Amino acid sequence: MISCIVNNKTVETGVNPGISVLEFVREELNLTGTKEGCKEGECGACTVLVGELHENGTVKYKACASCLLPLGEIDGRHIVTVEGLDSSLLRPVQKAVFNNNASQCGFCTPGIVLSLTGFLLTSESFGFNDALDALDGNICRCTGYASIRKAAEELSIIFKDKKGSVEKENRVEQLIDWEVLPEYFRSIGGRLENMIYSPSNISMFNENKVLIAGGTDLLVQKPEGLLAEDLVFASKLDSIELKQIKEANEYLHIGGAVTVEQLRKSEIIHKYFPSLENDLLLVSSTVMRNCATVAGNIVNASPIGDITIILLALNTRLILRKDHSRREVMLDKFYKGYKLMDIGGGEIIEKIVIPLPDETSLFNFEKVSNRKYLDIASCNSAVSIKTDNKTVQEITVSVGGVAPVPLLQNEVGKFLKGKNISTENLIEAGKILTSKISPIDDIRGTAEYKKLLTRQLLYSHFVKLFPDKIKYEEVAG
Amino acid sequence: MKNSDMLMHIKGKSVFIDDIRDIANIHHGVIFTSPVPKGIIKKLDVKKAEQADGVAAVFTYKDVPGENQIGHIIQDQPLLAEDSVNFVGDPIALVVAETRRQADNALKLIEIEIEELEPVSDPREAYGKGELLVPPRLMCFGETDEVWDKCETIVEGTAESGAQEHFYLETQGALSLPIEDGKVKVFASSQAPGGFQHTIAEVLGVPMHLVEIDIKRLGGAFGGKESCATWAALSAMAAKILDVPVKVVLNRKEDIQNSPKRHPYITDYKLGLDSEGKILAYEVMLYQNSGAYADISLPVLERSFLHAVSSYKIPNAKIRTAACRTNIVPNGAFRGFGVPQSVFAIESAIFKAAEVLGLHPSELQKKNLIHEADPFPYGMAAENCNAEKCWNSLDSKYNIENRIEYVKEYNEKNVLTKKGIAVQPVCFGVSFTQTALNQAGALVHIYTDGSLSVSTGAVEMGQGVNLKIAQIAAEELSVDLKRIKVETTNTTRVANASPTAASTGADLNGMAAKMACSELLKRLKKVAAEIFSVKREKIEIRDETVYAGGRETDITWEKLVNTAYWEKTDLSCHAFYATPLLKFDRDKEWGRPFAYHAYGTSLIEVTLDCIKGTYKIDSVDLVHDVGNSINEELDEGQIEGAVVQALGWSTIENMVFDEKGNMLTSTNSYKVPDIKFLPEKFNVHFLENAPNPYAVSNSKAVGEPPLIHGCGAYFAILNALTAVRKDKEMPSLPLTPEKAFMYIYEKE
Repeated sequence: MISCIVNNKTVETGVNPGISVLEFVREELNLTGTKEGCKEGECGACTVLVGELHENGTVKYKACASCLLPLGEIDGRHIVTVEGLDSSLLRPVQKAVFNNNASQCGFCTPGIVLSLTGFLLTSESFGFNDALDALDGNICRCTGYASIRKAAEELSIIFKDKKGSVEKENRVEQLIDWEVLPEYFRSIGGRLENMIYSPSNISMFNENKVLIAGGTDLLVQKPEGLLAEDLVFASKLDSIELKQIKEANEYLHIGGAVTVEQLRKSEIIHKYFPSLENDLLLVSSTVMRNCATVAGNIVNASPIGDITIILLALNTRLILRKDHSRREVMLDKFYKGYKLMDIGGGEIIEKIVIPLPDETSLFNFEKVSNRKYLDIASCNSAVSIKTDNKTVQEITVSVGGVAPVPLLQNEVGKFLKGKNISTENLIEAGKILTSKISPIDDIRGTAEYKKLLTRQLLYSHFVKLFPDKIKYEEVAG
Repeated sequence: MKNSDMLMHIKGKSVFIDDIRDIANIHHGVIFTSPVPKGIIKKLDVKKAEQADGVAAVFTYKDVPGENQIGHIIQDQPLLAEDSVNFVGDPIALVVAETRRQADNALKLIEIEIEELEPVSDPREAYGKGELLVPPRLMCFGETDEVWDKCETIVEGTAESGAQEHFYLETQGALSLPIEDGKVKVFASSQAPGGFQHTIAEVLGVPMHLVEIDIKRLGGAFGGKESCATWAALSAMAAKILDVPVKVVLNRKEDIQNSPKRHPYITDYKLGLDSEGKILAYEVMLYQNSGAYADISLPVLERSFLHAVSSYKIPNAKIRTAACRTNIVPNGAFRGFGVPQSVFAIESAIFKAAEVLGLHPSELQKKNLIHEADPFPYGMAAENCNAEKCWNSLDSKYNIENRIEYVKEYNEKNVLTKKGIAVQPVCFGVSFTQTALNQAGALVHIYTDGSLSVSTGAVEMGQGVNLKIAQIAAEELSVDLKRIKVETTNTTRVANASPTAASTGADLNGMAAKMACSELLKRLKKVAAEIFSVKREKIEIRDETVYAGGRETDITWEKLVNTAYWEKTDLSCHAFYATPLLKFDRDKEWGRPFAYHAYGTSLIEVTLDCIKGTYKIDSVDLVHDVGNSINEELDEGQIEGAVVQALGWSTIENMVFDEKGNMLTSTNSYKVPDIKFLPEKFNVHFLENAPNPYAVSNSKAVGEPPLIHGCGAYFAILNALTAVRKDKEMPSLPLTPEKAFMYIYEKE
């Protein structure tokens, strides 16, 4: 049995927890404002808001693609569809869309409205760029976006201005006062608190069950297959550690249920890896990053997974847990072959552990995809370097899209270690790199393209990190 | 003036096909399609599927009550395959079940054996094998063969462009209801009420009056819902046979796999210029990859044929076209309708000539723009020609020469990045080239309370045609817009409607509505004239008030309508409009196929990352000719949307087929522009003082013409690439980051 609040209505249902929230709201509740555009998280027409109760009684909301959100995830949570904005008056988001003609055929519009509401719920500053980021998963084929961008800009200006005058600590309360959200939102926290639903314990997971850590890929790969499985949801496990990012003993600990957006927004991450906030914008879209987990990206085992490539370069290790026993495995030893991993039945990734960088450490991530945002990479690469800015002291290079698994390029590392940072050495390293990789032709590009591109990504790392030490004409064009 | 539909869209209250829930017992149809590009069906066994949970029936061609045929220009496309299949996605059977999930599950139980045959995917190869829909067409203008010797510069080459997926957000679909007396009512996501009604009636083997099509709105179409009636016909057939409502709505994967695309073309061109850079001769052969069946390929190709010289004056031209039958999905209409491919060919030729001459292409473009009274190769002269006006207007705002100079200087100073810039002139003929289609009907009722109901053949798909029609009606009658309700598009109210296509929706239907309102106004004035005992000519209605002999009276619109009713006046009127002057002789390839042309000029600037081959479109600045805009907000939206679609076509929208014709692209690899793809600067200007005498309210069609601007993105990127190296052949379109990268890094 699943208990949740949908808009202003408490709902209990015995429907299979493996179906998507999209199917649930449309087919079971007849809330047809939420549209099915693609069922693969590619278009955002199905965007809803998901509210989760936090320890202090407040409810935190995020925008999610409901087509890839299993119903089981919303047990004990609040789901807001476009109907839940309560149409008795026009909300500021709706007004901004209307004022700017940011809707033509109207099919993508409910998703746009909810993503922009998500922006107002989550953006610290109400900055225009945050508004654009919030819309990075919403495809519109009619407007060409110019009008949608204007609507986003209008909202940013209005709310920056309001924020200047007064702001409550509780964003939801504040947005109710500003009429962004209807009055009934005030009651949601209390209602969720009193809701009886079944939290899961980590010990409930075993080899006969399927763990959903976000599920944004599983629901694309085998949506029907999940209906026959016994599902356990990582986000519902009652271990707080699983959902935290912590710094301890020279290491960064990322819990197994931490979402990609949580990682992107983490202050600890900003402190040690400042470039990641932008880099992670290249991973999928807001409505997906809000659900997708770091651990999910790892076990998806895609040879081109962006997060895996980033973590590989950071010398990451995984803490795997089964019942009460734990073991460690280095991420680069975790992959055994195409989609084959060193993980047993009933085992979960409890933590992802990254050594903290010091003042000599540099990091860079590069990705090239056909479309810059919300696309799978043709190739990606990350590098972490310890340097005195003259020589390479330590270096780890990872590349994706050129082998059946995400790869560390140890030979490149070995060659560059101890060497001067120079164009000559870089070009030599590029030669070693291209000799070690064996990409294949596929929809993301030809083998020849990926081979040359990987070399160029290595060059790009050095041009970015050591702009004064590389002769541009030798590496570009 | 805002489109009030938006008020429903933003609340999620707008109803699309799949949102219709207030009908009991809706069954769901899913289509079993060919897994191979070409083959003979040896065995088809649907027994297990028929017995699966919830299944009401599995239909094959044997169950089609009427004609198993949906081809409307050439009768070559069966609704359900009989003994052969000709593309991956060719429909073979329809499974109908109580739920979509049950239908999907049953689909997997269908067993088929197909003997595969050797498919063709390349249009040139199909041409070589004689696989043509019709014999090639040829248009000769001037003395092309004789003038080559006089040319100072001659360039030759090939320009190849790929397929484009519409990616309308609402997929193809229809819901059909059996109603009494053997009638079927079809709610369809269709641009072509008349055409679909005709096809469905044939499929069902019933007169057209037993098929009613009703269309409220489409969640985008862009031409993709104009011609192929497969899904609506299957839903109607199942509803009729099973006597239950049947919905057939494709999921995205099915839609991408099975629905028509923009045609890929291969074009061979030859361009000759004199010593001044004036074009003397142009010869082009357009090989259209039509796909497995004719669909609407021939009209698309005809429009390519008629736009071969784009916006340029070319005294000698030889234009040839071939519609090549292959084993990819049958391609169809897509905003632009064959024009972008033709524009791409001639602009490629001009780019190449400019390279040879060491010029920026814009110098040749400007020198050769078409002017007033210059003839197009099909005989029609450019009239009210705005090509140069648009160019000059853009130039006065953005100084084209300075911008090109800036790019040149930037490229001299920078190694890691290069900039590129392109000018794109637009000249787009408006009217269906099938002359008879340029007709429309409108039915206007005035109710006794003064409110109005307007029905036309136009389909609302987000372009705002309903609002334009309402505005035209309100203006004609001088009443408040709120009095007017534009109804669904329904075949029982307006018969034999042409598709809402060729950018003519507002031109044709708006004019028909205006004529109906004008007739009603006459009748109302007659009533008012009697009240005031004056001649009808002395009566005027302004802002809902009757004026007699120039003097305001106390008769309001409502009072007048009410009086007219009691005076037994007919307050309903149907009117019919057909575009005048159109005439085209296909034997001579000569005449006036278009009512007028729409013009424009744009400037697109890009930045190329030379390390990674990626690029960013920095700016699009354009001037576009919309005549006297009926609604500037709608027109701006149409221009922006069209331009961005073509930016996508030119760059990242990459639809890949293997050599057998299998589509390799899927939902997660077909990328249309997203909000961050949008150039940071995007400035749209209307050409000022350019009334058009040939369309309603002196306006111009705006659906398709502005799409052409976006083609400039290809040439802007190419311009940047040639700043890196010049020894490469031009890449095919779309110019993806991969192709840009290989242009830079592939060894020759």
